[in-house]
Amino acid sequence: MNFKFIKTDLKLGIRSWLRSKGTVFWTILFPILLIMIFGAIFSGVDEVSYDLVVQNLDEDADEDSFSASFITILKESGVFNVKEINKNTDMDEYLKDEDISTGLQIPEDFDEKLELYFVDQNVSINLTYFYDPTDSNTLGVVRSIIAGILDEFNNQMTQSKNVVGIDDKSILGQEFEFIDFFVPGMIGFTIMTSMVYGSIERNTKYRKDGILRKLLTMPVTRAEWILSKMLFMLFLSFISTFVIMLVGVLVWGLNFHINIFFFIIVICTSFMFSGLGMIIGRFVKEEETADMAGGAITFPMMFLAGTFFPLEQMPEFLQAIAQVLPLYYVNEGLRNAMIYANLEKTLYFTSFVIVFAVVFFLVGVFLTKWKED
Amino acid sequence: MVKKTVRCPNCGKTTEIFGQPGEIKKVVCSSCFTEGKVTFEKTTYDSNAAIEVSALRKEYGELVAVNDISFKVKIGEVFAFLGPNGAGKTTTVEMIENIRQPTRGNIRILGKSIKTSFDDVKERIGILPQEFHSFERLTVRETLFYFSSLYKTNADIDGIINAMDLKDEENKLYKDLSGGLKQRVGVAISLVNNPEIVFLDEPSTGLDPKARREVWEVIASLRKKGKTVFLTTHYMEEAEFLADHIAIIHKGKIIAEGSLDELINKYGEGSVLRIKDCKSKEVINILQRSGFEVKKEKNGDIAVKIDYKERIIEVLSILKHECVEYGTIDIRRSNLEEIFLKLTGAKLSEADS
Repeated sequence: MNFKFIKTDLKLGIRSWLRSKGTVFWTILFPILLIMIFGAIFSGVDEVSYDLVVQNLDEDADEDSFSASFITILKESGVFNVKEINKNTDMDEYLKDEDISTGLQIPEDFDEKLELYFVDQNVSINLTYFYDPTDSNTLGVVRSIIAGILDEFNNQMTQSKNVVGIDDKSILGQEFEFIDFFVPGMIGFTIMTSMVYGSIERNTKYRKDGILRKLLTMPVTRAEWILSKMLFMLFLSFISTFVIMLVGVLVWGLNFHINIFFFIIVICTSFMFSGLGMIIGRFVKEEETADMAGGAITFPMMFLAGTFFPLEQMPEFLQAIAQVLPLYYVNEGLRNAMIYANLEKTLYFTSFVIVFAVVFFLVGVFLTKWKED
Repeated sequence: MVKKTVRCPNCGKTTEIFGQPGEIKKVVCSSCFTEGKVTFEKTTYDSNAAIEVSALRKEYGELVAVNDISFKVKIGEVFAFLGPNGAGKTTTVEMIENIRQPTRGNIRILGKSIKTSFDDVKERIGILPQEFHSFERLTVRETLFYFSSLYKTNADIDGIINAMDLKDEENKLYKDLSGGLKQRVGVAISLVNNPEIVFLDEPSTGLDPKARREVWEVIASLRKKGKTVFLTTHYMEEAEFLADHIAIIHKGKIIAEGSLDELINKYGEGSVLRIKDCKSKEVINILQRSGFEVKKEKNGDIAVKIDYKERIIEVLSILKHECVEYGTIDIRRSNLEEIFLKLTGAKLSEADS
């Protein structure tokens, strides 16, 4: 193994990369810009008030009832523009007619059950949260705020957090915000694009420029060349991941769980998408066309793999497509490893990422030829 | 070690066997146990040859790109492989460089077969591929350092920079260099391992005349250093200016080979002295009587073939002695363009397009 070459290739590769302002921008600053923009859009709750339709079905509702108190808290939070509707109105129809995306329904036995709670502490009550899955702007935020208010309400009324809950099907847990969801997706997306396009460049531009032909006549093996390039690509992956996380911590105050699975996923993702780039570069030999082919594959994957919004917000057939996209497993793996700290799910998604990485990289290496026909 | 595949005369099963040149090995068929002997022929090669190519052929389906060509390149010479685009030059050179797989034929570089020993050869050759562009955002010095890191030998980067006259550009990025300088850097890269043979595939294509001349000077300096240069080109002036030996390839076949003088004498008209506006009608007869080959051209010029340079003075003496009145005298030597025209019926520049 020619370590002298591998060291030189890595050192000069980094130096050359730093001299390309455009590449540095797309690798580091562009993801930061996206985080800032998306974060600002989705997390600016303090200055914004959201329309919330509230329907109190509580049979014991009066001025002193628990349900009335809860509605008062919602109104006084300053976040919601609460619109109360009467018991006979169909909530679904009303939301559609008024073009409002979130609603909250207090059940008929709300007061009764709360009173019962003081006798039997196993009692629990769920409010029904109505939401429009296509309105990703408010969905997660409104849900999180209601959950926060409920926590406070539970504390004040019962000194417990478990009596009143929310009944819905959203995957987002109460303690997480959109930016928590978004940052791991951004990391997956950034690694994907830099690996795919970097790999395409090596396999098309270097072929056109005669560099691959030249290497073929020099004392370097394909393994040494690929190893040195992968070290450089891993450097890129970690530097962009680090910068994205740093912005997440400094600007949005995020907390990340850094564990071995996080590193495994980042490394495997780098190999996986480098392999994908090699495969594209093998079949589409013109540099410009290969770039377009890379875009045609990565761009839809970016949207379909749950990078910017949860998969549950998409139609079912698109959710089924996402299940076969490698970026989906990367995004979910990173979320579960870094944010949710859910070991079981992390293991599940990481195993898929490893399998995808091995398959894509080996196929890419196998298909990449230096020698001409 | 040489590999041979032998077929059993009894059952037809093929067996691979390894041996040294000159060795005779006993072989037993693993299928029918028939015994036999395999001789590994002693391979002979010309110790003065840097490159030996024999019966080299490359087919792409029905198309024969290189048609059983053979030639030798002597150590220390500039060998120009001349031909129009599409003639098979680059295919040939890339087979010699082991970039392309020949359909059949043998290639030896510095006495070693590239089929079996190309890894040994790599350390001793330097290559500038056609249309080569290096890494855009590395400086000239970094570029040379990068490629030199591949070799076992430690390159004298400063020496190469000085020899290639790149001192003023050593800290400039490759992308900021002119076309001529880029090619000069390309040649410099091919020298980082101090090679014995340098392959330059169309090194001056696409350059303006000044830059082309600069590249020629660099190539000429390689010959002075004793390097063997294998130059592929479609510029006849380049071959005329630089080459010790020229092979002209056309449609995959070598149609002429030799030094420039040999080619001109063999295929061209040699040198021709033209007498313009000649007033004497007798001059043709006078020169013919003196043993010159003379003819009157359509425009009235009298063309006298000159076999060797002393005969120019002889012609001038005759003209003076006979008091022949004439306008001007012009002496012109045949060139490769005329030879190519004569051999193929097409101009080199036309065949190019």
